[in-house]
Amino acid sequence: MEGTQLGQIPAKATTGAGQGAVDEVDLTPVRTYWQLARQRFMQHSLAVVGLIVMAILVTLALVVPTITGSLYAKTSLSLANHPPSLLNPFAPLGYDSIGMNVFIRLVKALQTSLFVGFSAVSIIVVVGITVGAIAGYVGGAVDNLLMRLVDVVLSLPSFFLIVMMVALFGTGNAIVVIVAIGIVGWTTAARLVRAEFLSLRETDFVQAARALGAGDRRIIVRHMLPAAMAPVVVAATLGIADSVVVEATLSFLSFGISPPEASLGNMLTNAQEFFYRQPILILYPGLTLILVVLAASFMGDGLRDALDPRQRVRK
Amino acid sequence: MTVHRSDRPLLEIQDLRTHFFTQDGTVKAVDGVSYEIGDGKTVGVVGESGCGKSITALSVMRLIEQPGRIVGGSVLLRGRDLLRVDDAEMRDIRGNQISMIFQEPMTSLNPVYTCGDQISEAVSLHEAVGRRQAWERAVEMLQLVGIPDPARRAKQYPHELSGGMRQRVMIAMALSTNPELLIADEPTTALDVTIQAQILELMKSLRERNRMAIMLITHDLGVIAEMADDVVVMYAGQVVEQSDADTVFAKPHHPYTTGLLASIPRLGEKRQRLEVIQGVVPNPLNLPKGCLFKRRCPHAMPVCDTPPPLQEIARGHLSRCWLTPAGEPPAVGPEATGELAEAAASALQAPA
Repeated sequence: MEGTQLGQIPAKATTGAGQGAVDEVDLTPVRTYWQLARQRFMQHSLAVVGLIVMAILVTLALVVPTITGSLYAKTSLSLANHPPSLLNPFAPLGYDSIGMNVFIRLVKALQTSLFVGFSAVSIIVVVGITVGAIAGYVGGAVDNLLMRLVDVVLSLPSFFLIVMMVALFGTGNAIVVIVAIGIVGWTTAARLVRAEFLSLRETDFVQAARALGAGDRRIIVRHMLPAAMAPVVVAATLGIADSVVVEATLSFLSFGISPPEASLGNMLTNAQEFFYRQPILILYPGLTLILVVLAASFMGDGLRDALDPRQRVRK
Repeated sequence: MTVHRSDRPLLEIQDLRTHFFTQDGTVKAVDGVSYEIGDGKTVGVVGESGCGKSITALSVMRLIEQPGRIVGGSVLLRGRDLLRVDDAEMRDIRGNQISMIFQEPMTSLNPVYTCGDQISEAVSLHEAVGRRQAWERAVEMLQLVGIPDPARRAKQYPHELSGGMRQRVMIAMALSTNPELLIADEPTTALDVTIQAQILELMKSLRERNRMAIMLITHDLGVIAEMADDVVVMYAGQVVEQSDADTVFAKPHHPYTTGLLASIPRLGEKRQRLEVIQGVVPNPLNLPKGCLFKRRCPHAMPVCDTPPPLQEIARGHLSRCWLTPAGEPPAVGPEATGELAEAAASALQAPA
């Protein structure tokens, strides 16, 4: 209403109304939910290791390819099958059968994998939250329709669906791979958000917000989403590991990212051909893949324990 | 049925019907409720749990959710029917002209935001004010509801406050836009007695300051005696008695009201046993024929098999009972007239 109404409320009105109030202001510092969560996360040693490893991998993937530019695709047959040597700082992991620098290629592949992983998870989170929030909030027929859609997507063999989409819309294109993983993967996030919303929409504070005249969008975005985020954050972190593996598998089967672009999957394919001559080549992408997946999984576990204090059963 | 005045009251509820369509059948949670609230008046709505008090309030706010639906009647706010305005208009009315505070202060605040945030949100939902202004208003409101050190409290989260403090925050939020009508749904039930008194005192002083009307829903007759101008007694989805507060306490007419009053313990009075109303509220899926209270009523008589109308037994005093205004069983005979005669006749004809 008009601002003049504000004037009707005298600013100094405590004495009349608040005579009975004897509560004292509590001066102890209060830790917020996120501070507590961080503290619990830090107590989870594996999760901290995962976080550090992931931080190193992300830094490498961001820094090295920027410096080396297009060198990852450069072949020089004179250097083919050059063995790894720590004495050579430029090519500590040696060169492969067509003379590509394995270290530079590996880091580029790591970049590709992480890019695919994070992007696919972003799609999963956005689509999952949107669908789950609408289903849980609106309920009724809409909920039914959306959840049956989830059932349909879940009932399809997801990997073959991804392979099919990639084959149809462009083999070797990272964007297609990302979208395909996203289209197949949003269902879990949607279910999680819907479940949270079903219980949140019955809470008194949502009812109170509605009684204050808040609209649907405001209630969903401001009042319900923050409370529903914890399980989504956990699922997203674990989803990174899944997406990286799916991308590597696709590329390994030469449906995903194809040479000269580097990916952990196509490096594995490549190394496999020369398994008897240079078995060590298979180790680099393989170990990197394991590192990424483990780091993401440990972080996910740590987040799960940190964000849901009630669920601390196992030690 | 309603008492006519020259000027329109603030809120008129007319023949409101809210039904819940469950798998087991239709629950008539509110079935033909009419009452009105004048400007600046406090109307106390009393009755046992499940009698439709809160559903009436939620219907006024249009906050009824599936499987419930408002199936009839009208709710006029200054002559405008709230049941017929569109959703956007209704959102604008909620929290602005009509505010509501709930029973559970512990859970009615969003745990994710500070108290100040939530009050400023309520302000900015209805007024074009900047963030700073809204925040200042929030602090001002906290001070108004008697929270010491409001600037600091505004930055705290709900879990850092006690129940009484949270109810004060809820009240601050509800009043931040200066509503004309405050619906208080058992505002003190979840609080202990001393805090209860403080909150009632606060509501009284704010009522006078803002000249707002209050719909006070409670099952505590003590609270009614303290606060209300008029009283509406509800039973099984219907209004059974309606009058000004003094009349209800001094000369209750409906046996249900009499029963409610008799079941209050009084200080200094020696009684062997506290009186209770026998039985329980009837299952809403299986209401008795005729008067809904007859199974529990000490005065039940054959005529009660016909539903009694809500009739004026004295000026401004309505009661839904066949007893005469003096509280006697009605005379059934040739001198009986109107509805009563028909009812008596049909009751004699066949034991339905």
